[in-house]
Amino acid sequence: MSDFSKSSDKKELWKSLNDYNNDSEVLKFKHDEFLEGVTEDFDPSKLSGLSRRKFLALLSASAALTATACTDYRDKGEIVPYNKRPEEVFPGVANYYASTCNGCREACGILIKTREGRPIKVDGNPEHPINKGKICAKGQASILNLYDPERLREPMAARKHVSWKSVDEDIISALNEAQKNGQEIAIVTGVVTSPTTKKVLDDFTKKYPNTKIYSYALINDQQRRSAWLETYGTIEYPAVKWNEANIILALDADFLGNETGFVENMRKFTERREVVKKTDFNRLYVAEGRMSATGALADYRLRVSPAMQFEFVMALINEFSKRDSALPIDADTKAKIRRYSLAKFYNQVGKEKLDYLLNDLNINRGKSIVYAGDTLSKEVHAAVNLLNELLGNAALYDFASSYKSLLNLSTHKELSQLVDKMKNEKVGVLIHFDSNPVYTLPEDLGYASALKKVKTVVALIEAENESSALGNYTLPINHLFESWGDAYARGGVYSLQQPVISPIFNTRQKEAALLTWIAGDANAFNQELYHNYLMNNFNATIYTKKNSFADAKSFWYSALHDGVVTFDEKSQTTKFNFAAVTNLQTKGATNGFVLHLHNNYYIGEEKFANNGWLQELPHPVSKVTWDNYAAISQSTAKSLGVENDDLIEVKVGNKKLTLPVLVQPGAADNFVSIELGYGRKVIGEVGKEVGFNAVLLMSMNYDSSPYVYSNVSVTKAGGKHKLASTQEHHSLDDTFVKDIHRTRKIIQEGTVERFIKEPDFLHKGEEEKLLGITREHTYTGLKWAMAIDLNKCTSCAACVTACNVENNVPVVGKDQVANGREMQWVRLDRYYSGTPEEPIVSHQPMLCQHCDNAPCENVCPVNATNHSQDGLNQMVYNRCVGTRYCSNNCPYKVRRFNFFNFRDHFADAYYENNLTSLVNNPEVTVRSRGVMEKCTFCVQKIMEARSNAIRDGKELKGSDVVTACQQACPTTAIAFGDSNDPGSPVAKLRNHDLSYHVLEELNVKPNVTYIAKLRNTHSEEIQ
Amino acid sequence: MKRTVLDYALKIRLPLTLFVIAASFMLTFYISRPERDGVGYSPEQPIKFSHKLHAGQMAIDCQYCHIGVAKERYALIPSVNICMNCHTVARKDKPEIIKLTQYYEEGKPIPWKRIHKIPEYAYFNHSVHVNKQIDCASCHGDIKEMEIVNQVKPFTMTACLDCHRKPHENLPYLEKVNVGPENCAACHR
Repeated sequence: MSDFSKSSDKKELWKSLNDYNNDSEVLKFKHDEFLEGVTEDFDPSKLSGLSRRKFLALLSASAALTATACTDYRDKGEIVPYNKRPEEVFPGVANYYASTCNGCREACGILIKTREGRPIKVDGNPEHPINKGKICAKGQASILNLYDPERLREPMAARKHVSWKSVDEDIISALNEAQKNGQEIAIVTGVVTSPTTKKVLDDFTKKYPNTKIYSYALINDQQRRSAWLETYGTIEYPAVKWNEANIILALDADFLGNETGFVENMRKFTERREVVKKTDFNRLYVAEGRMSATGALADYRLRVSPAMQFEFVMALINEFSKRDSALPIDADTKAKIRRYSLAKFYNQVGKEKLDYLLNDLNINRGKSIVYAGDTLSKEVHAAVNLLNELLGNAALYDFASSYKSLLNLSTHKELSQLVDKMKNEKVGVLIHFDSNPVYTLPEDLGYASALKKVKTVVALIEAENESSALGNYTLPINHLFESWGDAYARGGVYSLQQPVISPIFNTRQKEAALLTWIAGDANAFNQELYHNYLMNNFNATIYTKKNSFADAKSFWYSALHDGVVTFDEKSQTTKFNFAAVTNLQTKGATNGFVLHLHNNYYIGEEKFANNGWLQELPHPVSKVTWDNYAAISQSTAKSLGVENDDLIEVKVGNKKLTLPVLVQPGAADNFVSIELGYGRKVIGEVGKEVGFNAVLLMSMNYDSSPYVYSNVSVTKAGGKHKLASTQEHHSLDDTFVKDIHRTRKIIQEGTVERFIKEPDFLHKGEEEKLLGITREHTYTGLKWAMAIDLNKCTSCAACVTACNVENNVPVVGKDQVANGREMQWVRLDRYYSGTPEEPIVSHQPMLCQHCDNAPCENVCPVNATNHSQDGLNQMVYNRCVGTRYCSNNCPYKVRRFNFFNFRDHFADAYYENNLTSLVNNPEVTVRSRGVMEKCTFCVQKIMEARSNAIRDGKELKGSDVVTACQQACPTTAIAFGDSNDPGSPVAKLRNHDLSYHVLEELNVKPNVTYIAKLRNTHSEEIQ
Repeated sequence: MKRTVLDYALKIRLPLTLFVIAASFMLTFYISRPERDGVGYSPEQPIKFSHKLHAGQMAIDCQYCHIGVAKERYALIPSVNICMNCHTVARKDKPEIIKLTQYYEEGKPIPWKRIHKIPEYAYFNHSVHVNKQIDCASCHGDIKEMEIVNQVKPFTMTACLDCHRKPHENLPYLEKVNVGPENCAACHR
């Protein structure tokens, strides 16, 4: 302040030192207002001849001229045919290639549809004896991974693009150096189902003898395998003949949802849920803590927490040994199991249910199965094996079709040894062979920090992940559709994988990269390297085994064509080892909460987390998308003082995780279940930070199973995290909406007993004449219709995904799902009835019903939706002006409006690029903003079948068309065809006693018929 | 009553002007209609291929080159290897054939100019029509007489529907012909 006042004495403001010193020059400037010359007269003649006005006029005139003269408005572009057309490629006609899925360890046979050389759809391979033409939602959506904009495109060293040659040279020298220095070369892989990959790994070990192979999967069946090894002496456990089981008791086993063999299991299970010719139902008991997809289908559901399962099985064994002294249990064991009593479960489960269970299992000896889930401890599995053995249920084991183990998973001990070696710098080269151990291994192993001590860390992967981010070399590998390969996942079934598109980017087959390093020469690589290797191995192992009359080459081509080679595998006779079960026990009573970590349904272990279609698939029970959560029961929520979306903190020892709550009807009390696979940190834009990483709660030092933890503390954390769900959580205690699906006859159900006694119970006394407001129209000729058998629907969402892929349905994102703007044309509705503790769950696929008297049609002001003569409710996008009246007037709420151009709107146009648009089906219009859309009954398939019929001079038949959802349904719950043809399956189902239409009283005459679900309980009423 | 300038403007000048504008618009609209529908469009092609010579004088069947027409949606512009079936031998010395051979040998596809086009939101299928014995000429004109191919008929929805509704008038050479489908999903999906 003092300075300022001082300067104000002399001068107020100054601009330069000259100014401050009152320089004469500056004073002169200040005197004259304008600089010299500025005030002279203005002479236009001295200016350039082109005035501004003239310039602008010229500019616009020339622009207009160019616009009209230089563009040929009649120009229609070019048609560019092939130079030499490949013999099998016909532009406009799809080709199908058999291959094998590598999305998980099931290795299902797939059939890839390509158009003009680009894959556009995947379905199951009908020739494959295990999955028989069906695959799960993940397999269906795996095509989006191929066109993922964030797939790795170039090899990288130290985060910089380099050539494959220099990478190969670097790695070969690193391998040689490690070999010379006596350091370990570690290869960390996931589950290996390919015998040829196994052979490559063996060859690698031969070339570099210091190599050790580690195999690990976050979600594995190791507990089951260990139990089988102990009780039957084989690590390769058999498949179960579900179709021969009258009684099934599943212990926390999601065998119809996401566990081992679920696609096959679903088919075999629903073979015994047939209502058309016979009613020979099986009965499903599920004892579980969480509400799984399998639990939702149970006839009787018993709330037993996974920590109590061991006691539960032992109590059952005890009960049987008491009832039947002839059971082959020695006295010692008998005495030991005496302390497990079923009475403990009476309160929790109900004595009546347990009596039913015991009786059913007793009556159906040799015709029932007890099955424990993958996440339960090996002690439970061993006890279950004992129980099945005692009841003679081993007859239902199919040893010929056992689950193979080509490369045993590494034990936790082996993995900690690896980490120790890494820490002591005894590992020279570490190769992440399409795996992500930094994410999948428990944190207390210290893998990520030990990785820093390894000199050369190589990742062979499709897209950047947590493990590759910590390494030196990130090498891009081919997508499964670009790869050669094989699989031997099940006994007697060998399947082949072939590329259907040449690598889009500068990627390599992961095995070919290893083969190059085995050769020890960067120039050894060529595109055919692994192809030839595979062929040679095939000839040496499979061709010789088959004794085929064909020569090797023809046999190879025919195997490639079929995608699968089957052979009789001698099942070794295994005997139950009673000694293994005499000392079975687990740690006893627990306090506090029980935590159950289990597999997610759609995003898999790590491969599919960046797949928008799968992230957006609603959970089969909770219908939550784009998230995982802590599922707790209603009374637990009350005692914790939390509601849906409230954050809670789950604490296991010193490990903590904060995540939102979902109140799950039917969950056990004092019990939390969380899905694994979420909360990824290093991944593409879609999967990043979606959900919460429950691997953080896993520990190396678990009690009995790495997935079940006792003595967990759960506290309210404060704050909220919004879960986006596609269906409201109809509170079971809200009187307004309670059982609305039953009172309005959206869901109609019965029991088997009632149906056998009184087959027409559903429609008895129902003869009111319905009033219509629409002019009746008769349909002669073909009339398309669909029938959905709710007895067979397991809510697996294969249909939803197949529809998404077939019909170019966009991904909308979590915020839009929260606004109710999801675009999936098929919706799997889930309804609860009963009590929050013991809910009855009903599923119903809901899609456009193609009503004869469609209410949407008569409100459209522009006639954009109308009816065809073959019974289709048509939607014409070009006519639609987006009034949304149709959706407003639709009683089923199956119309979807494009509030945005979703491809552009989702995640900054993530899926709008030249690469991802290759996924689109060229037979279906890609809809843009402001247009209504809905299920078309796959009209593109109908039109294709029609043109084929005309070409072949045949009459078009209903059976010629298979819709995408029908094709995908693993349980064949969906029938489609001509309802005017009395012999067609769909007509038969429409006339079945159990058939009904949703909201029949509206008289809109839907063309989608539902077959009422029968529950196989000991009662004529649904309880 | 005195006639004012305003009267003149309102009663004569304005209606006259409006009439002239409307008339010239209508005239241009109708006269330019075929032009706007692409009728008469005959762009210059990268190779001066003559349909008159091949299909007309030498009477090569349309399907020898357009192999997809009876099998699927697209008629298919022939790939160069089909041309070379004959032209590895025939008329090798002609400048256009030299050009063709060059394309073939360099493995480059020929960028033919597109003449007939229906919008992307309509899914037309050749095989359905050809297998109902509808002649190519019914839509494409007498190609056999064309030195350079041009569009003869408009490819509009009106043109499609006209034939679908009145096939007997438009396709008099067919004895047995049904009306074509008129539902939206027949072409749009």
